[in-house]
Amino acid sequence: MTASKIISVSPVRPTPADTVLLASAQATALAMRDLYQAAVGAGAGGEHVACLVSLAAHHDAYAQTISSLIGRAAPQARDSEIFSANEADFGSDTMAAALAAHALENSLVAAHTEVIGMLEGTEGAALIASMVIIEARHVVALAAIAGKSPIDDTDLFLVTPEAAQADAQTTTTVA
Amino acid sequence: MSNSNREELQAFSKIVKATQGADFGPALQSSLSRRRFFIAGGATISFGALLAACGGSTNTGIARLGEAPTKTELDDAPVTDIALLRTATSLEHNAIFVYETVAAAGLLSGDAATLAARFLSDHKAHAEATASLTEKLGGKAYNEPNPRLQSIYIEPALRLITGDDASGIPVTDDPVADVLALAYALETIAGSTYQVYVPMLADSALRAAAIGIGEQEARHAAVIGSLLNPSRLVSSFGLSIAAEYQEQTDVPAAAYAVPSTFGTKAPVPVVLGAANESGIRTSLNLETPSLNSMVYEYLDGE
Repeated sequence: MTASKIISVSPVRPTPADTVLLASAQATALAMRDLYQAAVGAGAGGEHVACLVSLAAHHDAYAQTISSLIGRAAPQARDSEIFSANEADFGSDTMAAALAAHALENSLVAAHTEVIGMLEGTEGAALIASMVIIEARHVVALAAIAGKSPIDDTDLFLVTPEAAQADAQTTTTVA
Repeated sequence: MSNSNREELQAFSKIVKATQGADFGPALQSSLSRRRFFIAGGATISFGALLAACGGSTNTGIARLGEAPTKTELDDAPVTDIALLRTATSLEHNAIFVYETVAAAGLLSGDAATLAARFLSDHKAHAEATASLTEKLGGKAYNEPNPRLQSIYIEPALRLITGDDASGIPVTDDPVADVLALAYALETIAGSTYQVYVPMLADSALRAAAIGIGEQEARHAAVIGSLLNPSRLVSSFGLSIAAEYQEQTDVPAAAYAVPSTFGTKAPVPVVLGAANESGIRTSLNLETPSLNSMVYEYLDGE
């Protein structure tokens, strides 16, 4: 038995700098939601269409939760650059959409990991951490939806590629 | 009795005489209760004054038989970044222990064994990383399984799978399914632990390092979930989506590649072992390390 006490000098609420990072994360989440919805609308998904719908709902929930954290600073609009750059890949071809989403989710995992290292407030860091844990699982689900094997294509399931990490550094620098 | 109380009692007697035979019911009872309250209140104040008059000394004067034990002060155990990293390393060693035990027992074969070997390798790399970070902060790395988690989760779970003659526990009917179920729960908890540690770590760079490992544990869990439940990779429970995309059951599956919208801190239930005579199997709830499961620095001296 111990007399434990948690030591933290970090602010709890998002700082002004945090708010900028979280606003960017919300716009990205909305772009992801719209891309999944575009793929489903185009007829992608096959036997896994319900999974794609659920993934869209996850990103919508991320956007809403960030909004509740930063209030009026939330843009409430998707990142149009991300959406337009990827829209063509989110068509009716399930495998193509799943692989495109797989690459984007990998980039999100890397970007949000970097963001966590930059956030000062613990509420924002805790929220993004809870998103990263599930975005990493999204990557695995999408690799499976794309028909990949965790035995033959192990790294597709388990590794964040260098390219995604480089994208993340660019994204967070811009943000 | 004070004059005012005496006057009130006389007035009350006149009213009672004037109304004899009438049924006032609750109103009269309420008045009597109020009066009793005042009398009891006066007695309480008087007794309180008596007690106060006895005060002024540290000796309570209360008789006691025997000697009371001396109060033991608890060890001061701040949850520092070093303590969190040491606990994370210990959790990695719990996972290493499980995968090495399973491999030594030959419980897995084929693709499952291949994946387990990969996960084992990843956990060794994670343990080295967290140990290295501990030392960079000036701490002493803890390169053993977490003793509390080992005794309350790992060892009982493995006994349920491999059986234990001394305890009368039979070998499970399906060791492969049980090992995968245990690994799913363990990897999920490992990911949750790093998630929980993010806001607890004081150094923001360490937060990024922690979630960088945690997301890999989450991937391990998701791969196992995709093998256990390939037809439904993403759970729809709790999502506000159209009914046609919802699962047609009220009971969530035991495992999903993606079980929830956000990473949770909730316990992960796992059902293991052979069924008893009533057909019931043992259920364990794995949880992230609590404050009493952490590997504090002061424990090195014990």
